Amino acid sequence: MATSMRGLTQFIADIRGARVRELEEKRINKEMANIRKKFKDGNLDGYQKKKYVAKIIFTYILGYKVDVGHMEAVNLISSSKYSEKQIGYLAVTLLMHENSDFLRLVVNSIRKDLDSNSEIDNCLALHAIANVGGSEMAEALVEDVHRLLISPTSQSFVKKKSALTLLRLYRKHPEVIPAAEWALRIISIMDDQDLGVVVCVTSLVMALAQDHLDAYAVCYTKAVDRLHRLVIEHEYAATYAYYKVPSPWLQVKLLRLLQYYPPSEDPTLRSVLHQVLQTIMNNCAEPTRNVQHNNAQHAILFEAIGLAIHLDTNSPLVGTAAVLLARFISSKETNVRYLGLDTMAHLAARTDSLEPIKRHQHTIILSLRDKDISVRRRALDLLYSMCDVDNSELIVGELLRYLRVADYALREEMVLKIAILTEKYANSYKWYVDTILQLISAAGDHVGDEVWYRVVQIVINTEDLQEYAAKVVFEHLKAPSTHESLVKVGGYILGEYGHLIANESGYSPMEQFHLLHSKSQFCVASTRSLLLSTYIKWVNVFPEIKPQLLNIFERYRHVLDAELQQRACEFYALASRPDDDEMLQNVCEEMPPFPPRVSALLGRLNRKHGDTEDKRTWVHGGKEANLDREAVKRKTLAVDTDNNGFAEGQDSSEILGSLAGLEISSSPSQYSGIPILDSIGAPLVDKAPRPVMGPNIDRWFDKLTYSAEGVLYEDVQIQVGVKSRYQGHIGQLAIYLGNKVSAPLTSFTTTIHVSDPEALSVTFAKIPPSTIAPRTQTQQLLHIECKKLFTTTPILTISFLAGAHQTVSIRLPIVITKFFEHVKLGATDFFERWKLIGGPPREAQNVFPIDLTSTSQLDLTKHRQVVSGHRFNVLDDIDPNPNNLVAAGVLHTSVEGKVGCLLRLEPNREAKLCRLTLRSTSEDVASEVLKLLQKLLIATPT
Amino acid sequence: MISAFFIFNQKGEVLISRLYRTDFKRSIADVFRIQVVSNSDVRSPIITLGSTSFFHVRINNLYVVAVTKTNANAALVFEFCYRFIIICKSYFGKIDEESIKNNFVLIYELIDEINDFGYPQNSEIDTLKSYITTESVVSTVNAAEESSKITSQATGATSWRRGDVKYKKNEAFVDVIEVVNLSMSAKGNVLRADVDGHIQMRAYLSGTPECKFGLNDKLVIDNNEKGTTDAVELDDCRFHQCVRLNDFDATRTISFIPPDGEFELMRYRSTSNVKLPLKIMPTVTEIGTTQVQYVITAKTNFNNKLSATNVVLRIPTPLNTTTVDCKVANGKAKYVPGENVVVWKIPRIQGGQEVTLTATASLTSMTHRQVWARPPIDVDFQVLMFTASGLIVRFLKVFEKGNYQSVKWVRYLTKANGTYQIRF
Repeated sequence: MATSMRGLTQFIADIRGARVRELEEKRINKEMANIRKKFKDGNLDGYQKKKYVAKIIFTYILGYKVDVGHMEAVNLISSSKYSEKQIGYLAVTLLMHENSDFLRLVVNSIRKDLDSNSEIDNCLALHAIANVGGSEMAEALVEDVHRLLISPTSQSFVKKKSALTLLRLYRKHPEVIPAAEWALRIISIMDDQDLGVVVCVTSLVMALAQDHLDAYAVCYTKAVDRLHRLVIEHEYAATYAYYKVPSPWLQVKLLRLLQYYPPSEDPTLRSVLHQVLQTIMNNCAEPTRNVQHNNAQHAILFEAIGLAIHLDTNSPLVGTAAVLLARFISSKETNVRYLGLDTMAHLAARTDSLEPIKRHQHTIILSLRDKDISVRRRALDLLYSMCDVDNSELIVGELLRYLRVADYALREEMVLKIAILTEKYANSYKWYVDTILQLISAAGDHVGDEVWYRVVQIVINTEDLQEYAAKVVFEHLKAPSTHESLVKVGGYILGEYGHLIANESGYSPMEQFHLLHSKSQFCVASTRSLLLSTYIKWVNVFPEIKPQLLNIFERYRHVLDAELQQRACEFYALASRPDDDEMLQNVCEEMPPFPPRVSALLGRLNRKHGDTEDKRTWVHGGKEANLDREAVKRKTLAVDTDNNGFAEGQDSSEILGSLAGLEISSSPSQYSGIPILDSIGAPLVDKAPRPVMGPNIDRWFDKLTYSAEGVLYEDVQIQVGVKSRYQGHIGQLAIYLGNKVSAPLTSFTTTIHVSDPEALSVTFAKIPPSTIAPRTQTQQLLHIECKKLFTTTPILTISFLAGAHQTVSIRLPIVITKFFEHVKLGATDFFERWKLIGGPPREAQNVFPIDLTSTSQLDLTKHRQVVSGHRFNVLDDIDPNPNNLVAAGVLHTSVEGKVGCLLRLEPNREAKLCRLTLRSTSEDVASEVLKLLQKLLIATPT
Repeated sequence: MISAFFIFNQKGEVLISRLYRTDFKRSIADVFRIQVVSNSDVRSPIITLGSTSFFHVRINNLYVVAVTKTNANAALVFEFCYRFIIICKSYFGKIDEESIKNNFVLIYELIDEINDFGYPQNSEIDTLKSYITTESVVSTVNAAEESSKITSQATGATSWRRGDVKYKKNEAFVDVIEVVNLSMSAKGNVLRADVDGHIQMRAYLSGTPECKFGLNDKLVIDNNEKGTTDAVELDDCRFHQCVRLNDFDATRTISFIPPDGEFELMRYRSTSNVKLPLKIMPTVTEIGTTQVQYVITAKTNFNNKLSATNVVLRIPTPLNTTTVDCKVANGKAKYVPGENVVVWKIPRIQGGQEVTLTATASLTSMTHRQVWARPPIDVDFQVLMFTASGLIVRFLKVFEKGNYQSVKWVRYLTKANGTYQIRF
C-alpha cells in the first residue's frame, strides 16, 4: 500500500534529500500548504485522504507541529479499506493526545471495529486503545475489549492483543476494570491451547492478582498445572521452545505469579510444585550450549529459586538453591552475579538460618567492590539482609570502611542501613555509640536527621551509656572539621551529660564550651539554636562559665534570625535571674527517657514505590522484617477488599506512614490496632461462593447426607455424581463429572471452599484435568479429614467453558455425622450413659411434626434409614415401644478425639409429632446432629 | 592564543583541521561536533567547556572554528575567523563545502601563512596573493629576486604595498555602501533604525601615494567649519590597517598609503538621523477565522530623480493559509507556501511614487486554535546615489612624489536585505 502512494514516497525522498534544515522546512511548509488547500477544497477520495494524512503523520514524526488533518484521520478510521483504516488509526494514535476532544469522535468507530468480524480490524482497534489509553476511552471500551478476550470466536492473536490491551488499561486506570468480577473468566483463558495467549493472559493475571489476591486465587492451581505440563510433561508446541527451553517467558511469569500467593496447603499441589522446581534446578546442572540458552535457563532458575524460598525456606530445594547461588555470586558474568546476589538477599530475607549464606560472606564483601554499581547495590542489600548478632560487627565495620569510597548515589542508603544494623544487632552500647559517631563523621551530608535523632534517643534512654557517649562525642568533636550532624549530637549530649565528665582532666566545662562554640560559626541557624539550648543547660550545671555564656546570649539577642533571637532573649532572661531562684533548675532538669519507639529509619528505607508494576514479593532485611510486612499487607488487603472503607483506611495508614517519618512513629502493634482499621476489617464478609439452590438440588443433597453415593447435581450440560467412603476421621469422596453435551468442556476448574480449614480439610488427590471430552465422565478424588467439629458444609465450585463461561457452586454432602462410627451398647450400658450425660446443656431435644405414609402409618423404615444412614448404630430391644428408635455412635476427629453420642427418636402417630433427643459429651455435637436429623425427618410443609 | 583551527560541514565532518599547538589532539574536533554541531540548542558562538573555548562562525552551512585553551581575546579570534572567510572569498570566489574541498591544499597553505603558533600574522590579501598563488609558478631565474622583494615588502614599513607600482592612468574609486536596518512597530513607531556602512576603495595609483580623505563627519565639521548642518554623526569607525590611527585620534583626519587594488577603507555605524528610503503602510484585518485581508502601501521617500530597484516585500500569512488572492498595479505578487509569505517583487519605484497591494488570504480550520503571531513584513531594496545616513565624501586628495594627476570616482548605494522590518 505504501508503495502505491507515489506522492508520499516522493515527499519522503525530498525531505531525506534536503541538505539543510531550512530546505527541509521549506519543503514541509509547501506540502502542508498544499494539504491545507486540498482539505479545504474537500471532495477527496479515500486514497487521497490516506496519502495526505500519511504525509501529515510523517511531518509530525519529524517533529513539526501539525494542526490539520485530525478530522480526516477520524474519517479514515471508519473506512472499509484496510490501508485507509490503518493510516487513520496510526494518525489517531500518533497525533492525538490522550485527552484530546477528537477521541470522543473515534470511540464509536473503534467500538465498531472491535465488534467487527475481521480480526485485523479488531487488532487495529486494540492497538489504538492501548496506545492512546485515555481514561475516557478506557471507560467506554474496556467492556468491549474484555468481551473480545473471552469470546470463544476470537482468534488467538486477537486474544493476545486484547489481554495486553487490558493490562495496559489496568496499569493506567486500575479503577475502570472490575477485576474481581472478571477474575474467573480471565483465569479460565490460562488454559488456552495457544501458549502465546497464555503468556499474555498470565501477564494480565499477574497484574490483577497483585491487587486482588483472593479473587484470583484459582490461578494458583492453573499456574501449577501449566508449569507441570511445560516442565515435566513437555507439552508445548515446538514453536514455543526457545533454545530448547519451553517458553521461558511463560515459565518465569508463572513462577513469579505463584510468589504472590501464600504457599498452598494442598499437598498435591505442593508435591507437583516441588517436582517442577526440582526439575528446573536439575536442568540447570546440565552443561549449557550457548549464551541464549544459558540466559533462558537462568531466568527460569532464578525465578524458581525465588519461588522455592517463598514456599519453604527449610526444604531441601532451598539447600540446593543456596549451593547454586554461591556459584553464581562468583560468576564471571555481571548479570549472573547481580541476580545471584539479589536472589541470595531474598533467601537471607526469608530463611531461618543464615549459615549457608554466611559461608560466602567473604565473596559478598568483595562484591561491594565490584566494578558494576548495580552489583554493588545488591551486595549492600544482601549484607544488610544477612546481618545478625554474630556477624554484625564485621559487616558494619566493612560497610563503614566501604562508605568512604562508595558512590555518592549509594551513600545515603548505606548510612541508613548501617544505622539500622548497628541499632538492631548492637552487642554493647559502646560499640553502638562508637559506630554511629564514626558513621556521622565519615558520611557527613548523607546522614539524614533520623540517624542523629535516634542516637540521642538511645543515649537518653540508656543510663550506663551517658558518660561514655559524652566522652566519645567530645573526642570526635576535636577533629578539625566536623559535620553539622555531629555538632548537633555533640550539642545535645554534652548539654545533657557534659557534667558527668566535667571533673576529669581535659573535659573541663571551659574546654567543652570552647570546643563546641568554635564549631558554631560554621553552622546554620537551626544548629545554633540547638547550641543555645545547650548553653542554657550549662548555665545550670556549670556556674563557673556563666559569664561567657551570658555574653553569648547577649550577643545573640541582636541577630536577625527570629528563632535565634527569641531563644537568646528568653535564655538571657532565665540566666540572669537571681541565683537562689529555682526556675532555672526546674526548666533545665534532665531529659526524661523517651517512650519506646520504633526506629523511624525503617520507614525511611521502605518508601513506597509505584502501583501496578510487578512488585517484589519480599523486602530487604531479616526474617522479621518480612513477617511484619506480610502482616501489614494482609491487614491492608482486608481493607482493600471492603469497598466502603477503602479511601478512609488508606488515608489513615498514609497519615501514620508520614508520622513515622516525622519520628513520632508508632510501633507496629499500634499501627495495626488503629480503631478505624479494625472497624473496617470487622464487617469483612465470609467470601464463600453462594451455592446454587433448587428443590432438586436440596433433595439430592439431603439424600446424600445419609447415603454414600448418588447424584449431587445435574443440568443440561453436566452431571455431578458422588461416591464416598469414610473410616474414622478420614474419608474419601469421588466426584464424577459428566459432560452431557457434544462439545468438550474446556478450562474446567474445580475448587473447594472450606469455611473453617482448621476443622475440616478437603483436598484433591491430584490436579484435576482441565478438559472433559464430549459425553464422557471424569473422576476426581477428594481426601477428607475431620479435625474438629464443623457445622458448615464445604462448597464445590465448578467452572468451565462451554461456549460461555459457566460457574456452578454446590454444597458437598460432607456433614459431621459422616465421621461417626458404630458402637454396640446393651440396654443397661445405654441407660447408664444416657443418665451420665444428663440433661441440658449436653442434651439437645426438639419436638417437630412429621409426615405419615400414605396409609397414615409411621414411616418407620425411613426413620431407621435416616438414623443409620447417619452412621448411628440402631440399638434394638432397648426401648419397649417398637416405634421408638434408640441409637448410638461415636464421632472421630483427629484433633479433638472421639465424642460419643446417643439418640432417641420417639414418633407419635396421633399427634403427627416426633420427639428427637440427643445426648452427647459435647453440647455442640448434640445440637448439630439434632439439626441434621430433624431436617430430614421434619414434615414437608404443605 | 588559537591552538587549533577547524572547518566542519553541516553534518559535523571535519573538512580542515590544523593544530597550531600541542595542547590539543585532533580528537578535540569530536567534542565540538558533539557539543555544538549535533546540539541544536547551542546559539552562542563561544562555548567554553572546562578550560577549552570554541569560537565558531557559521557561514553557508560551514562551521569555521578556532579552539583555544588560554584566555584569548575573543574579538581577535573572531576577526581572524572572518578574515579567513574574506581571504577565501577573494581566492576562490565563494566559500562553501564544495569550494573548501576543491581548494584544501591552498587553504592549508593559507592558514599556515596567516597564523603562526596560534598568533595571527599578515592577512592582507594582496600581499598574500603575491606569494600564495593559485597558478603554477614557473621556476625562473628571477625567482630569487622575486622572493627577496616579497621578503622586503612583508617586513617593511608598508607591508601592504609594494614600492614599484606603476599605472598609466592614476585612478581611485570610492564606493560608499550602506545597509539600513529598521524595525518598526505596528503603530508606526521606529523601534530601531541604524545604518551599517562601509567604504570600499579601489586604488590604481602609481608609486607610494599619500592619500587624505574627508567626510562630512560631524566632529570634523563642527571643529573646522561652522554653519553647515548636513553633518553626520558616526557612532564608531573601523579602519583598514593602512590608515594612520594616531592622526585620526588627534585630528580625525583620515590619511593613509593605500594598498594596491581593492580594499575596505573603513566601516562605520550611524544611528541618528537615519533617512528611511521606503515607507510601508500595512493594513491587515482578520475577518473571522477564515480570511485575512491585506492592504499594503509602499512609498518612496527620496528625490524624484533617484529610484529604488529590486524591491521585494515579504508579507507573512497565517500558518493555515490555503490560498491568497493578490491584486497589484506594479510588479508581481505571489503566495509562496514554502515560506508562508506573499512575495511582492517590484523592479523599480521612482522617488516620490506610491504603490499598493491588496490581497485576501483564505484559511483552513485548525485543530488547536492559535492566535497568529503576525511576524513582520520584510523589505529588500537598493537605492543608488543615496545614503541613509547622509554621509558624503567631501574630498579625496592624493599626494605623490611624482605629482601626477589622479582621477577619483565616488558612488553611493543604500540597500536593505533581511533587516528592514515593519510590524503590523
